Amino acid sequence: MNRAIVLGGGFAGVLAAAVLARHADDVILIETDRYPPGPRPRRGLPQSHHNHVLVTGGARALQALLPGTLEALYARGAHRRGLSGGALILAAQGWFRRIDTEAYLVACSRGLLDQVVRERALGGGAVSVWEGAQALGLVGDATRVTGVRAGRVGGPARTFQADLVVDATGRRSKAPRWLAELGAPDVEEAGVTSGLAYSTRVYQAPPELAGGVPAIMIHPGPAQGRPAQGATLFPIEDDRWVVTLTGTRGGEPPADEQGFTRFARCLRHPIVADLMAAATPLGGVRPYRDTANRRRFYERARLPAGFLATGDAVVAVNPVHSHGMSVAALGALRLDRELTRRGFDPSLTPDLQAAVAAEAETSWRMAVRQDGGHAGGADERREASAFERRIRTRLARAALSSPELAADLFHAQTLIQAEARTDTSSRSRALRGEPDPLLSSPEAIAQFPGLHAWWLSRSIPPVTPVRVPVGGEIPRR
Amino acid sequence: MSLRINDSVVWQETAEGVSLYDIDTGAFTTLNATAARIWMLIDSDGEREPIVSKLSQEFAGGNTAVSRRIRADVQDFLGTMIERKLVEEHPA
Ligand SMILES: Cc1cc2nc3c(=O)[nH]c(=O)nc-3n(C[C@H](O)[C@H](O)[C@H](O)COP(=O)(O)OP(=O)(O)OC[C@H]3O[C@@H](n4cnc5c(N)ncnc54)[C@H](O)[C@@H]3O)c2cc1C
Repeated sequence: MNRAIVLGGGFAGVLAAAVLARHADDVILIETDRYPPGPRPRRGLPQSHHNHVLVTGGARALQALLPGTLEALYARGAHRRGLSGGALILAAQGWFRRIDTEAYLVACSRGLLDQVVRERALGGGAVSVWEGAQALGLVGDATRVTGVRAGRVGGPARTFQADLVVDATGRRSKAPRWLAELGAPDVEEAGVTSGLAYSTRVYQAPPELAGGVPAIMIHPGPAQGRPAQGATLFPIEDDRWVVTLTGTRGGEPPADEQGFTRFARCLRHPIVADLMAAATPLGGVRPYRDTANRRRFYERARLPAGFLATGDAVVAVNPVHSHGMSVAALGALRLDRELTRRGFDPSLTPDLQAAVAAEAETSWRMAVRQDGGHAGGADERREASAFERRIRTRLARAALSSPELAADLFHAQTLIQAEARTDTSSRSRALRGEPDPLLSSPEAIAQFPGLHAWWLSRSIPPVTPVRVPVGGEIPRR
Repeated sequence: MSLRINDSVVWQETAEGVSLYDIDTGAFTTLNATAARIWMLIDSDGEREPIVSKLSQEFAGGNTAVSRRIRADVQDFLGTMIERKLVEEHPA
């Protein structure tokens, strides 16, 4: 009889527990919070007030782990939006044309996502769930973890034996300290600040737009040296929208109602502010500031057997990438495959840890490169030259209208394709040919007839078209 | 044998040397001033011998040891560029 204990019943912990239940005799999930009865945010998950979309790679992994989950989410009101076919996106270089790629995102509240996943992952009863219980430390020595110390929140701690302990307590995991208390070596950590702040508010959509809007993303402009400010609006269940405003240091979005509205209005295009003005706010504005990229390199340390970490406890990236849950799902799927191949053997945890870390690698590299940090590997980061910036700008501009380049971009962003690009002829055309004309703002909005009709019907005069100039000519050699 | 910069390379002379972008691999490369000089000679002369002799004239000042080193360095550089498919060599 073998036993696995999972610490933390968030997205990663619930999926890890569901996987372990297929390979171990007894699985216990210890979660500090009490799960809410409905699809609502909860205290142990402060980020659940903010937008949470599942990207393609994560959606596919979730479906592979728990078949039927996506259908259940759609049945409960989640929306699937193609990238860029179902999304109105103002990127740094201009508006995207609607292009169908394999990439998409699933938008609903984090509360709904968690509830549906919990029902499907834990509903069978194979996992014993201890809500309102807190993990307080590990038991064992420097060679072997043999259990955990845990107790009711505020109550006395007891020891529970386990063959495998999985830490899924999220960004603020205390596992490195708990391991050190057993005499295990330090776990190398890397942190790259993003400087990004979030402010989020949920709205009831006006009836004429309920369910019908595309995902909307207003990215920061190309201006260097100024704070990067942007916004997203995602349709979620019950005809609601979740609006998140983002800003880097010096340009943080306010958390008061008037400031929130003003910030949205001053972005490169006011479409999000216009939609907010037509909708009914549900509750106040919620700020979130802890957005740094953080990684614990468990796979590099000689850790005691019988210990494994997953989810944000291992790699937590700047939420602007919308990767965390998808990486957790990919990690759980990989764990399932490794356990199926090798069997439930706690002495294999170093290999399992390396496999889980590998699933997070693409997301980590993407996030830290964007936030100007080191990925923690052998390759040192260098500043992009003016030439490099011009080439990238030109390619980014071409991706606005090129099906091949857009697919490359969105496939990488949604974790279904490594960053290596496949199509070279479109890149060649992008660098040597004349760029396609940019869409004006009215043209971009007109790609979505329902939204366009509503936008034209408002009494407010239309705004000046945005055509973002791109700097620098590329040599035609 | 003639040398030719691969069609998949977009490049530009810069203050520091030459910057290259390989469309096939997505890799950026920066050549320092010396490598950049060889690169420019590949573009203008397109053959090993003229490249070596021009560089020898410029830098060796009749010193055969230096000329030999220049020849070896040019061959090395061309070998790397051909291996990385940034330069192609064809029968003349
Ligand atoms: C503002 C914001 C927006 C985000 N948006 C997205 C998005 O759009 N898409 C996306 O994929 N990801 C997004 N993320 C990331 C996502 O929230 C995380 O990646 C995801 O929640 C990771 O899940 P986890 O289970 O590892 O950690 P968490 O979800 O943080 O869960 C940890 C759990 O452990 C419990 N716990 C903590 N300590 C203990 C203890 N000692 N004992 C027992 N239980 C404990 C907590 O109560 C909690 O339930 C966002 C993050 C933030 C901050």
